[in-house]
Amino acid sequence: MTEKEFSRRDLLKVTGVAAAAVIGLQVYNDVSASEGAPTGGRQWAMVIDQNKCTGCGYCVMACRAHNDVAPDHTWNPVLEDVPVNDKKVYLPRPCMQCAKAPCVDVCMVGASYYRPDGIVMMDYDKCIGCRYCEVACPYSARSFNWTSFDAPNPAVPEWGEPEVARRPRGVPEKCAFCYQRIDRGIAIGLTPGVDLDATPSCVVACPVGARTFGDLSDPTSPVSVLLHDNSSFRLRDDLGTGTRVYYLPVKPEA
Amino acid sequence: MMKTFSMVTSFFGSLWGKWLTLLSLFLVMGLGAGLYVFWKGLSVTNLTDMVPWGLWITIDLSSIAMAGGAFFLCAGVYLFGLKKYEPVARTATFVGLSGYTMAMLALILDIGRPDRFWHAMVYWNERSLLWEVTMCVCLYLMVLLLEVMPIIASLDWLRNRLPKLAAMMEHVHHFAPYLAIVGMCLSMLHQSSLGAVYGVLKSHPFWYRPDIAVLFIMSAVAAGMSMTVFTSMLATRLTKRAIVKDELLERVSYFIGWMMVAYLYFRFWDAWSMNYTYQAGKTEALSVLTSGVLSFNFWFGEILLGAVLPIILLLNTKTRLNPYSRMLAVFLIAAGVVAFRWDTNLIGQIVMVSYMPGEPTVSYSSYSPSLIEWLAGGGIIAYGLTLFSLGVRYLHVVDHTIYEKKHEAVQETAPVGNAVLA
Repeated sequence: MTEKEFSRRDLLKVTGVAAAAVIGLQVYNDVSASEGAPTGGRQWAMVIDQNKCTGCGYCVMACRAHNDVAPDHTWNPVLEDVPVNDKKVYLPRPCMQCAKAPCVDVCMVGASYYRPDGIVMMDYDKCIGCRYCEVACPYSARSFNWTSFDAPNPAVPEWGEPEVARRPRGVPEKCAFCYQRIDRGIAIGLTPGVDLDATPSCVVACPVGARTFGDLSDPTSPVSVLLHDNSSFRLRDDLGTGTRVYYLPVKPEA
Repeated sequence: MMKTFSMVTSFFGSLWGKWLTLLSLFLVMGLGAGLYVFWKGLSVTNLTDMVPWGLWITIDLSSIAMAGGAFFLCAGVYLFGLKKYEPVARTATFVGLSGYTMAMLALILDIGRPDRFWHAMVYWNERSLLWEVTMCVCLYLMVLLLEVMPIIASLDWLRNRLPKLAAMMEHVHHFAPYLAIVGMCLSMLHQSSLGAVYGVLKSHPFWYRPDIAVLFIMSAVAAGMSMTVFTSMLATRLTKRAIVKDELLERVSYFIGWMMVAYLYFRFWDAWSMNYTYQAGKTEALSVLTSGVLSFNFWFGEILLGAVLPIILLLNTKTRLNPYSRMLAVFLIAAGVVAFRWDTNLIGQIVMVSYMPGEPTVSYSSYSPSLIEWLAGGGIIAYGLTLFSLGVRYLHVVDHTIYEKKHEAVQETAPVGNAVLA
């Protein structure tokens, strides 16, 4: 048995090839890496006016019905903000539809992805349920299906009819700006944000008109007009997530 | 009948029989718990939307860390010419196989859709660190399986029944240097990027630091070699089938001591740098670690017992030469690294930074594993121990004289080729 000596030269050769391969892969990745959501075309955004929100929770119920969400989950909670002049202030929190979404970055199977119109989508058939997205989301926008939701939805039919399939046990779910309403609306010639049938259900359900929806890249859309005329803020802007949900802060009464 | 009976009683009377019975008990309970999890879903755990990663992720991270000795020792032996440590690398490789398969079991339990585990290989998001970890772990598991081939070939049954196959498996050993290179590249990538999985999450300021990746690989190398030394030494004390040359383990332990000094050095600067200026989430998490609920784990588990004491025991010649203090030291290092993984995983989740307008504020959550999580986790650990014990008993996994014996055997029986080895 003659043992072939593994010389230092061989080591250098093989290591060199391996290093080149790694660098090559890295360069390829940098070129092909997702640099956030695509821009151009329609870019959906939501503006929520904290002056108007009364915390009634209609949006929560409408969301549960239209997206068939279980009663112990919510994609869109209404949270209490810091009161202004002893007046309660609310902060509804849908998915922020980040332009640079941590969940899309971290998802190992690419089940979280951007639509061309900026909506951060979940492919519930691809997801393996590792919950990395849930850990990565700064806005707690994802809720995991620890159990399966088999019971009838108590929000139906009072608050609307389900428009999407129920998600199975073992995947995290989240708001997707009622993409099904947008797509169906556009298909029949409606304008999302203007025509109610093409607008997310939370916006439609709001009795005080605190929510506005529309196309950010169209300067005449309701959201663009509101953002032009008012000062607004986004949640944890410092993180660089580039969220598509804008808030109009409470103006203390003069 | 009587003969069978006496065989059974002598089996259960022997240390081996008692050990296997104990392990089987945990395996059965673990299997039951695992099936229950598959049936009922993750609702039987104490995991929540605030703490979605718990005990099983810690077991996953820890068993991969314990397997970190394999790539390091194989690189030393086959790439840097430290040939005399070859039998130690053999042990480490088998510990590695046990560790990585344990990690796989933990992950299968932990993912919400175990039926879709294969998606991880089919659907790629190259930007995800977890994707990179998955790819590396799967490829490295292949490397480990190839590296273990020659070890399995030493199974007497296989050599008698299928000598050709055994010879082929034995032959894989010739590729050891190449496997060592691939193994080293893959391990350097994923051992550190397991830390980076946490390190890239800006939503958790305590995690969001590059040092985590460095600390993960350094601690994995130390823990992996510690586990190898510990299991080798323990095995020799329990069975005649394990034969060690103590001077090899003594040298490896000396190296582990210095490795831990380097680790502690990086750990110190990592922690110290977080000690300046307030940052919401990071500052609170640091106090949870140093004076809060995790402070006992940190000071005793990770630092004093997990690093400082073992460093003293391993770098002081007298205590290093004493088998019991050396065993204590390497055991403490391995346990300390488990504590490090547990604390790191938990701390980012129990300290939560708010996303409400204004200055970010901090709130806290908590987690302690459910009984089912403990039982299933215990089953995974019992599986690893069973695999290793079988390796010691049947595959000469801890046998520092094996390569000398082989050379003699080759010279005596087959001067021309190794096919006759069987």
